Amino acid sequence: MLKYIITLLLIIFMNESFSKESKFFPFKTHEVVLENGFKAILIPVGNSGLVSYYSVVRTGSRDEWEEGKSGFAHFFEHMMFRGTDRFPGNVYDSIITSIGANANAYTSDDLTVYHLNFASEDLALVMDLESDRFRNLKYSKEQFQTESGAVYGEYRKGRTSPWSVAFEELRDMAFDKHTYKHTTIGFERDIKDMPNLYEYSISFYNRYYRPENVTLVIVGDFDIEKTKKIIGEYYKPWKPGYVMPKIEKEPAQKAPRFKEVQYDGKTLPLVIMGFKTDEFRATDKNFISTVSFADLAFGETSEIYKKLVLKEQKVQFISASPGMNRDPYMFEIYTMIKDEKDIDYVIGEINNTIEQFKKEKVTVEKLDRLKKNKKYSFLMALDSPDAVASILPQYITLANSIEVIDQMSETMMNLTPDDIVKSVNLYFTENNRNTIVLKGTK
Amino acid sequence: MTGSLYSMDEKRIVKEIDKTDPSVSLRIWFKAGAKDDPAGKEGLAMLTAQMLSEGGTARNTYEQILEKMFPMASSYYASASMEMTIFAGRVHKDNLDDYLKLFYEQLLTPAFGEEDFSRIKQNSLNYLKTTLKYSNDEELGKAVLYNNIFAATPYGHITSGTISGLESITLQDVKDFYAKYFNRNNFVLGIGGDVSENLVKQVWDNLMKLPEGKENTFKDFAVKEIKGKKVTIVEKNASATAISMGFPMNLLRGSREWYALAIANSWLGEHRNSSSHLYQVIREQRGLNYGDYSYIENFPNGGRYQLPPVNVARNKQIFEIWIRPVPNETKHFAFRAAMREFKKLVEDGMAKEDFELTRKFLKNYVLNFATTTNERLGYRLDDKFYGISGGHLLTYRKMMDEITLEEVNSAIKKHWQYGNMEIVFITDNAQELTDALASDKPSPISYATPKSQDILEEDKEIINFPVKIDKNSIKTVKVEDLFK
Repeated sequence: MLKYIITLLLIIFMNESFSKESKFFPFKTHEVVLENGFKAILIPVGNSGLVSYYSVVRTGSRDEWEEGKSGFAHFFEHMMFRGTDRFPGNVYDSIITSIGANANAYTSDDLTVYHLNFASEDLALVMDLESDRFRNLKYSKEQFQTESGAVYGEYRKGRTSPWSVAFEELRDMAFDKHTYKHTTIGFERDIKDMPNLYEYSISFYNRYYRPENVTLVIVGDFDIEKTKKIIGEYYKPWKPGYVMPKIEKEPAQKAPRFKEVQYDGKTLPLVIMGFKTDEFRATDKNFISTVSFADLAFGETSEIYKKLVLKEQKVQFISASPGMNRDPYMFEIYTMIKDEKDIDYVIGEINNTIEQFKKEKVTVEKLDRLKKNKKYSFLMALDSPDAVASILPQYITLANSIEVIDQMSETMMNLTPDDIVKSVNLYFTENNRNTIVLKGTK
Repeated sequence: MTGSLYSMDEKRIVKEIDKTDPSVSLRIWFKAGAKDDPAGKEGLAMLTAQMLSEGGTARNTYEQILEKMFPMASSYYASASMEMTIFAGRVHKDNLDDYLKLFYEQLLTPAFGEEDFSRIKQNSLNYLKTTLKYSNDEELGKAVLYNNIFAATPYGHITSGTISGLESITLQDVKDFYAKYFNRNNFVLGIGGDVSENLVKQVWDNLMKLPEGKENTFKDFAVKEIKGKKVTIVEKNASATAISMGFPMNLLRGSREWYALAIANSWLGEHRNSSSHLYQVIREQRGLNYGDYSYIENFPNGGRYQLPPVNVARNKQIFEIWIRPVPNETKHFAFRAAMREFKKLVEDGMAKEDFELTRKFLKNYVLNFATTTNERLGYRLDDKFYGISGGHLLTYRKMMDEITLEEVNSAIKKHWQYGNMEIVFITDNAQELTDALASDKPSPISYATPKSQDILEEDKEIINFPVKIDKNSIKTVKVEDLFK
């Protein structure tokens, strides 16, 4: 009888529950959407006896729109380990410890992710713990203030790398209005002020840690039907109430920007160039072309790599990454130069590469090889439940769906050499360019 | 007999067959590492491995290899640790044949060209001269600790070598090292994924094309005894202080005592885990840094990885405590807090409830250590290294049911002690720290935020905790002078 009632309840409070086959993603996925907006994506994979459990909050440092609050999303990630009335921090820790879970969390521009890997038999227990801290987090002012010290420690740890300094400077220079102006760790002055923001932290939790802003991903060895059922039980009582952050739009950049940064320590010189692009657009050929362009123009088989890394050996390495963000970000090119006197030469070579791609089409053969590369690198990356789960948060943040992987792959596979030329001409203009040159002490 | 050209020595093959895996993994362990670097050529094992990873072959330049690998989204790599050099790769089975051709060519007919050599040597020198010294204080602290503990032994330099060693290495040295150690009698083959017996034979036959040579067996050596607490202060312009400390330990995985000590170590300082007691005391309660851990096995690049690495096995291990960067003004306090906790554990042993919780934790936690075919192969190779017939991870889980608290506490007494250890600080103002350490003067602490009465009471003990370091056992090294 009880079972019957639960089944009935399930039908009532689940708006949708369906499964899908994907063209590129090699696993069957099941989705559950609750009335409160909470969504779960379930992907049974293999019989390892393990489950990966990822709670994806679609809030990151992008959402830190209020003055003086940079770094707060990341800081708040730390607070999520401080417990609830039912499971205070030390109780939460000891349960996680007793089941031998490998648990951690991370924050980036657009998202905060809490992930655990553990034995399948503990799935219901973990769901009890996780849903509880997302719904009922509670910590004292004192705990809050202590954690701010650990965050400052994390900042200090990162600051010993010149790359952290260079990326911080790049964003600060490139953005005037949008919150991408700061890195995820935040400005030092704001980190210092964190102990004073206890009340703010509660409002942060109330606005962003809401069911319609969180998606759960479960991958691995588990029973689909039982899992759907407990998702209903644990996440249904969570009240919606997400408040949109008031993020300012970044105005179009009107001129190239450049800054030379002095690093307090020894390092080989670094150059980072960022070209403003668009927000992630899975079906837009112009945007998806930038993903291909990163490999074609700056990857290990590119002409500039052969020249500067292998033949002339002027740089330690060169690489590029397309920004795949929720709001318009940058395409970044970075390199470490062996001799300070070659800085201008290397920047010149990067600019020449871009100019060349504006004029000359890549061969169809080269583009086909890239498409094969993308296909196999994707398939090879999926070699454990955690590996499968770990690639999904980014896409969930961008589109709250993993269908976007198919859309993006489809667009990528249909790109032509003309599309690449068009895209490079669109985005890689002088006005969109931001350059940071970082030099160490002698 | 198999149909192989050479009979396969099954003792030298480990397999991890999984027909549901769409890829094939290869891991070949050559018995050579930084301990085999000739004197004055420190860094040679690593450089040779890099020449195999990023150099050309008789048939293809490195550039051509990159081109051919690109559509397969694949690669191979070689890496050297203290005693193991691994040549490994993974490919989707659709591309297996094309891939294997390149894989064999690299291993059997490396070109060892001048252009590749100058690039790789330059990059390695840059790593030692600038990256390690100036942009990663945590790895720097560990490197100095290991170099100090193993000074004047075959382990006496980190795998990256020394600056003068790297500078003196010639292309001929690389060729000689390769000729000596990459021979048909000096490897163990690991193969996994969707693999047929025919494929195993094919790989084996190709490896048999390596020249004749000798197996490189481990020759035991003594590690100098540490008397008292030896402090090395690496002085540099640092905004925070990284601390590493430890001593050599005569215990390897596989023995029952090792698993007993693993329980104590996990409680004291499980790597990057909030269950670590040091983490609780220094980070969780006091917010002094990002984390605090301890080790009974080498864990290179701990800042980058969450779970233990494979194929860095070694016959000599140390016990190690790693304090992530703390604000300079709290370095003496944080150091004392760690020493005090370690001393308490050595003297009092583990409490019953900590023991129960930790063994329960480890029993499941190790399930996370090898979730991919490639990782499982790595563990199997390490099992060969340590001679663990039942498999390390299976033994680990089994031992968590069997080992008693008494065994843990007797392993602590036998293998850990508090009096003798090497200690490394990476920090500014060495003189001030030297004076503070030598005089054991109080290290008061003030917090930006309020703390509970319990913590303030405990702080009083930490502030005055006597570490007892002899002034003559403290030396200062300028960062510029390291790794010469």
